[in-house]
Amino acid sequence: MSISNAPTTATPAGTASARQVVWQRRRAAFAGFCKEFSHHKAGMVGLIFLAVVIVAAALAPFIAPSRMLDVTQLLDSPRFAPPSWEHPLGTDHQGRELWVRMLWGAQVSLIVGFAATIMSMVIGTIMGIAAGHFTGWTGGLVMRIIDFFLVLPSLILAIVLSSVLSRGVLTIVIAIGLTSWAGTARVVRSQTLSVESRDYVERSRVLGAGHWHIIVKHLLPAVMPLVLANTTLTVGSAIISESTLSFLGLGDTTLQSWGTILKNAMDVSAATSGYWWYVLVPGIAIVLVVLAFTLVGRAVEQIVNPTLRSR
Amino acid sequence: MTNAVPPAGAVIVEEAAETPTRNTSALKYFGTKLGGAAISMVMVILLGFFAFKILPGDPVKAMAKDKPMSAEQMEALRESLGLNKPLWGQFVDYLGNVFTLNFGTSYVYKQSVSDLIGQYFWNTVLLTGTAAILAIALGLWLGQKAAWKNGSFFDKANSGIALVFWSVPTFWLALILLMVFGGTLHWFPTAGMHSPNPPDGFLANAADVASHMVLPVITMVAVVYAQYLMVMRASLMEEMSADYLTTARAKGLREDLVRSKHAVPNALLPTVTLVFMHIGGLIAGAVTVEKVFSWPGLGKLTFEAISGPDLPLLQGTFVVFSAIIIVMNLLADFIYRQLDPRVKRA
Amino acid sequence: MPDLKFENVSITYRTSGRNDRGEVPAVKGISLDLPAGGTLGVAGESGSGKSTLAMSALRLLPKSAKLSGRVMMGDTDVAELSFGKLRAVRWAEASIVFQGAMHSLNPVRTVGWQILEALELHITDKWKTEKARKERVKELLATVDLPAKKADSFPHELSGGQKQRAMIAMALACEPDIIIADEPTTALDVIVQKQILDMINQLVTERGISLLMISHDLSVLATACERIAVMRNGELVEVGPSYQICTDPKEPYTQQLAAAFPVIGDPASRMKPVTRREQTPRDPNAQTFAKSDEVLLQARGLNVTYHTGGHSLRAVNNVSLDLHRGEIMALVGQSGSGKSTLARTLLGLQAADGGSAVTFAGKALPTKGKALKDFRKEVQLVLQDPSAALNPKLSVYESVAEGLRVQRYQGDERARVKAALEEAELIPAEKYFGAIPQELSGGQRQRVVIAGALAVQPQMLIADEPVASLDASVRGEILSLLLDLRKNLGLTALVITHDLGLAWNIADTVAVMYQGEIVEQGPTEEVLLNPQHAYTKRLLAAAPSIEEARA
Repeated sequence: MSISNAPTTATPAGTASARQVVWQRRRAAFAGFCKEFSHHKAGMVGLIFLAVVIVAAALAPFIAPSRMLDVTQLLDSPRFAPPSWEHPLGTDHQGRELWVRMLWGAQVSLIVGFAATIMSMVIGTIMGIAAGHFTGWTGGLVMRIIDFFLVLPSLILAIVLSSVLSRGVLTIVIAIGLTSWAGTARVVRSQTLSVESRDYVERSRVLGAGHWHIIVKHLLPAVMPLVLANTTLTVGSAIISESTLSFLGLGDTTLQSWGTILKNAMDVSAATSGYWWYVLVPGIAIVLVVLAFTLVGRAVEQIVNPTLRSR
Repeated sequence: MTNAVPPAGAVIVEEAAETPTRNTSALKYFGTKLGGAAISMVMVILLGFFAFKILPGDPVKAMAKDKPMSAEQMEALRESLGLNKPLWGQFVDYLGNVFTLNFGTSYVYKQSVSDLIGQYFWNTVLLTGTAAILAIALGLWLGQKAAWKNGSFFDKANSGIALVFWSVPTFWLALILLMVFGGTLHWFPTAGMHSPNPPDGFLANAADVASHMVLPVITMVAVVYAQYLMVMRASLMEEMSADYLTTARAKGLREDLVRSKHAVPNALLPTVTLVFMHIGGLIAGAVTVEKVFSWPGLGKLTFEAISGPDLPLLQGTFVVFSAIIIVMNLLADFIYRQLDPRVKRA
Repeated sequence: MPDLKFENVSITYRTSGRNDRGEVPAVKGISLDLPAGGTLGVAGESGSGKSTLAMSALRLLPKSAKLSGRVMMGDTDVAELSFGKLRAVRWAEASIVFQGAMHSLNPVRTVGWQILEALELHITDKWKTEKARKERVKELLATVDLPAKKADSFPHELSGGQKQRAMIAMALACEPDIIIADEPTTALDVIVQKQILDMINQLVTERGISLLMISHDLSVLATACERIAVMRNGELVEVGPSYQICTDPKEPYTQQLAAAFPVIGDPASRMKPVTRREQTPRDPNAQTFAKSDEVLLQARGLNVTYHTGGHSLRAVNNVSLDLHRGEIMALVGQSGSGKSTLARTLLGLQAADGGSAVTFAGKALPTKGKALKDFRKEVQLVLQDPSAALNPKLSVYESVAEGLRVQRYQGDERARVKAALEEAELIPAEKYFGAIPQELSGGQRQRVVIAGALAVQPQMLIADEPVASLDASVRGEILSLLLDLRKNLGLTALVITHDLGLAWNIADTVAVMYQGEIVEQGPTEEVLLNPQHAYTKRLLAAAPSIEEARA
């Protein structure tokens, strides 16, 4: 494979053209990634399913106006009606349509999932790079902190945080985000260490580069694909965490979320009283959405790093 | 420019091999690991303090949230909790309490938190311990089989099932089992740890407890084994292209022996660390599973502490749960050392 | 004793996934013959298919490989054996000494366990009982000069040479008729390499074992084999007696391979690495540079000590060195001799112990801040493996411009990058601007690394094994480029190498390093042709040379 038969064309123009070539290649790489992803059956199924759910959640106010959730206007509607043509997914203990609650719940569950994940990714990437890049006691200390959070039962800590802070969506996001970054930091750290040991980082240092240059120019681009794959995987577990916290009564009771619906179901003993739809519908929704995120995440992971099949 | 010629037969022969100094380094290894665990424990204790004392949000207000409470009552509560003292004074109190295992009195139970935890501790260990052992055994066994037959129907089916279970919230699976076995089939008891009238005799009693354990254990195993399967599968797949496997095949070893005697022992190394790291997930599962099946353990205590809210109890369970996990990870480090002759430094 | 015969063997790999290129041929219609008790070497560069061919002898190819033609072991076609029979043939009739014993031994099993395993799989009357097998392990270790207690060692507790010995002991365990040695001495130092080769030679002759040896290094094969086959791109280029292949090759490709390993003392190769590269036309009036008397880099009493967990290890011991402007110095030594540490210290990447004095152009080496950053413009580094030294995500332009950007170069960046690429003979430079490292050949990549160093217009280059990971045919090109850089730009260079031939090819002076000390230094001819120190003598004696094939 020598340059003579590589498809790069000679461009006598200026630096701009070298940049253009780079941009072209990036665009081509992205197109290649999309093409490869589109061949990944499980990943595509997950992606399409997620797209449908996200669109539905965004359109919730138009499909099902919020008055459909107003208990005071629902005095006539039947309680605990099983699924039928009239009530596609059944109704709850206050006569609300389950499908309406699910639709509005999707908004909260997804927003919490994404927001907590972004927080967790930012912390995880920063800590991971810091632990891998800096030597001496800075790196050691960061490493110690990562190890600590890695080991700590994140749900228990999230429970503690959300019991102490005032209730609300933001609290849940912070509780999940603050406790779920260690796994990402671990992956980022090991990738940082492996990049750090490459000769091109040494070469960069010999050229006079400082920490900032090495981190921005060499480390970040190398860990980003992994962080991206990790993001989709983490959204899934953040959604599970959200539902668990809501189920434990730590969520915002004034908002609909899938976890809150399950908590209501538990409170009225739906499981033992035969109101099966009340338990099944939100649970299956969670499983499907989380599964979809996992499938997409694994597909991305396989494409960006074929040797790193799964965690 | 010639310096002194080294004596004839000087040790030019070989580059020096790493000298095995196993005994001294073993002590050092355990020392570092113990030290690390101790630091983690100190951090848990600090976190246990600061999370409850410093974070915004007044614990007394939080406690008073759902109950009508006058300003005087709240003030009295503050007084009784020692919240009027300066921060460092509270901290000293807290440290003293932690070291004497005194987490104060539970608001809900009106009992010493340490006594409560002492009562419920072993129930949780029994439940999560059983679940952990079963999940590890099942996950590792299926994982290594799936990796070796990578791409086969067995692999696809097992990875698929594992992925689905991985996506299931633990508490929901518990609810489903409760619904199926509590609402329709009545094969296993669905609540508590003992029958209302426990049978006499040790064996009969044990069988009674075991039957109560079936559903919660199934729930926890189902959710956790999937993670172990994926971990084992991934680390064995990493090993599968290793050169020493070619050596083993060239020696004339059967494929199944190449796997069991060469590949698996190496793949177990990264697995051990990850398996123990996931114990935290198992413990988290215990909170909701114990709640759903009314299992009298620390998880149920935690749940009640949340609904109280009963902050001393929550603080106590948090510290104890974290301690359990730190000890488990210390164990993992020791097991790792037994498995890997190469462990050089901490 | 069976012969090993390859009859018109072709092997293709079925590729899939991301880089699906369909069926990729690795070996194309090779016929080779290893008579019982004979020795045959297969030479070739990476990707020539030599290892694939060797693995086919025991059907050890991955499932994606498809073989046509016949591999005959005696009268049996290896492809037709049942798995049970094949397993019986493996190791008992033919065993393998793998490349890089580091990864070929199971890291969590002791050496003794692994040898014992082979014996247990192929039990004969000689080692029927457990006790007899244990005895045999001891005996085997003794054969390869390892003490019996090494049986209880894990691979990581052995040095590279010891691991290779253990591997040979394992290969001999079941008294095979054929031994296949796949790069058995790669990654070993010259002296250890010599010992291992001698041992293989001796064992093979004593026991009448047939030997199939694979290497990229013709001189290694020449010392061990009667005949050599040269492969390129899966095809057979030339087969013949070793001496003829090395000294009088028919094919141009073989000539190039043979010339890559110069004979020390041969005036034809002194300051003239063999290369097919054309000389770039230069202005006849341009100034030419050579070694001057001005001292550029000076070290006096340089010590470097590593401190790790209570232990301290002196890696560089009392080194004094003078490097003149325009001089090319070769720093020669085995791995672990401290030569890379010395280089890193001279670059200011590693702190020297107190009391050491290093000056560059008369000024002490800066240790931090702006002064260090400015010093970076003066001395640059070229690393061993160009594919690792270039960020795969950056284009050639960005890699070369990196130093300029880090140094906040005020002039025309583009012009400087172009000039640097042209100095490194990547012409026309524009054609390479947008390329990424993966699109370049190994030699081109090393040129990009050199261009990246030249971009900041340094006065001196430190090159750490600059050709060790390149194929033999590219080696000469890079070496002659270094010579030209000195001639045209007056660049000073310190070249670190384990290869005495390289020093003979390009260096004005040689410094020999052993256990952290420089034991001998002086003009190349003096040091290499009339060595004073015992260690230098040993190094020279150990270098495999084609001359030996004559014996």
